[in-house]
Amino acid sequence: MAILERSEWYDYARMTNWTPKFATEEEIFPAMHSGMADVPLSVFDSYDEPYKISYREYVDVQRQKDAGVYSVKAALERADMYNRASPGWISAAKLHYGGVPVVEYHASLMESRFVRFAKAPGMRNMACFGAMDENRHAQIQLAFPHEYVSKDRQFDWATQAYRTQNWGILAARNLSDDMMMTRDVVQTAIMLNFAFETGFTNLQFIGLSADAANAGDYSFAKMIQSVQSDEARHAQLGTPLLKLMMENGHEAEAQRMVDISFWRTWRLFAVLSGIPMDYYVPLEHRENSWKEFMEEWIIDQFERNLRDLGLQRPWYWDYFLEDLSEEHHGQQIGTYSWRPTLWWNPTAGVSKIEREWLEEKYPGWNDTFGKAWDVVIDNMANGRMEQTVPGTLPVICKVSNLPVVGIPFKTTKIEQITYKGENIHFGSIVDKWIFEQDPERYCQTQTLVDRFLAGKIQPADLGGALQYMGLGVITDPADDSMDYSWVEEYRAVAAE
Amino acid sequence: MATVPLAILFEGDFVLKLLPVESSDTMDVLTEKARTVTVGIHVEDQPGKTIRVRKEGNDEPFPRDMTIEAAGLSPMDGVNLYFE
Repeated sequence: MAILERSEWYDYARMTNWTPKFATEEEIFPAMHSGMADVPLSVFDSYDEPYKISYREYVDVQRQKDAGVYSVKAALERADMYNRASPGWISAAKLHYGGVPVVEYHASLMESRFVRFAKAPGMRNMACFGAMDENRHAQIQLAFPHEYVSKDRQFDWATQAYRTQNWGILAARNLSDDMMMTRDVVQTAIMLNFAFETGFTNLQFIGLSADAANAGDYSFAKMIQSVQSDEARHAQLGTPLLKLMMENGHEAEAQRMVDISFWRTWRLFAVLSGIPMDYYVPLEHRENSWKEFMEEWIIDQFERNLRDLGLQRPWYWDYFLEDLSEEHHGQQIGTYSWRPTLWWNPTAGVSKIEREWLEEKYPGWNDTFGKAWDVVIDNMANGRMEQTVPGTLPVICKVSNLPVVGIPFKTTKIEQITYKGENIHFGSIVDKWIFEQDPERYCQTQTLVDRFLAGKIQPADLGGALQYMGLGVITDPADDSMDYSWVEEYRAVAAE
Repeated sequence: MATVPLAILFEGDFVLKLLPVESSDTMDVLTEKARTVTVGIHVEDQPGKTIRVRKEGNDEPFPRDMTIEAAGLSPMDGVNLYFE
């Protein structure tokens, strides 16, 4: 029997649907799960995903991708990447592996939810492949670091991280829970597939791939490009749904979802991608600054996508453009200062020549962040190491779950409200606005500081906090990736 | 007397920090406690200068001998600290 060409049967297959007789529409697609309850089911038939694939093709393509990726890994197993790569690359790789793989698994649960509750048959079809993609991403990003666990236990955070209460994981898990795991199909597809996936994941995966190749970690580079090729497909789930929203009186809701998710994603990526790009990647390999990369790859494309869909730029756009030059700098000196709490050894990235680069890319850096670093470096150069780790916790944003940071002398600010008698802090006016969109939802977050003040961390001291966050349990408290060798040039000046 | 955790922002610091104080502490005691986690940690010392405490939104600092309780500060209230 001759097999038909895909174009001859695909639209029938992808649009497979039925008119329910034994259960109501509301029973099959409850509003709580499916969203957009006011829009007739038949309207969703017009959902048209840009990328189409059959199961037969999917299996064939994915098998080839995996064969390519795993064969490179096998071929390079003796390349001794771990001992040859720069400490900065190792920092970036560990940060990625701790934070990302299990979120991918969460995403496969999200896609599976779409398979069941999406009203558009085309979306249910695409989500099947999306679920398989994300499962692949989880498995492959667990398998790759595992070969290094015997050399360095910090790579074991790939499997362990999301079982801990590490502050970094609290932030990532809160984002995942808010945007991906606890909203209806429509909200989730806008927030996750549209804003997070099409907006930002290229940053981490394509940008990181270039950094990996420069560092000589070709296994990682190949793997991460392969992962992103799947992303380029299933990320497109969100756009046709956005169009349906715009065409059916849900413009305001669509805009609000985009505004919330873009900011939340931005703030997490400032830590996940911004810090490595401007501080961990060796200076000789830095092609763009974080700000330049964002401007070239994210902002233009995202603005275009929004315009094409008839959406506006988020209301805080000018504020966001300023934030490009500050948030990741604050989180870098923050994560470095509180380095015992990390699952990776951070790289300071503030040698004199690196500071010249930072000043060139971010004029004024030395007069602001540089001044704070000067105090840290002076302590290190003069042997006062105990003064280089603050003896208290930072204040944590109720929404982002990240420390509240800013430019010294300029933008570091107290953003506080009182809700139900509780004083709550935010990392920005946008985080505060997000809270105000649904205070009953966000007031339930228990940040690390909330837990500490509620007595949930015992003993209530630094040791207790580290244990609570998995340090001294999975791995020892983290330390400088270069054993402070970079401080030598400052010591030499101090001696003069 | 009760422990009151405050959110402090020292001028020149890049981050807000948690500082537990006692409700009976004066502002001068607060500033001494704040020093240990800010000055010489991320903020350069300015010897000879006094540290003042001001609630966000207020123009004037609290009197140095005013207690936390008298100032009406509640748990996780934010205060600005600066050299004068």
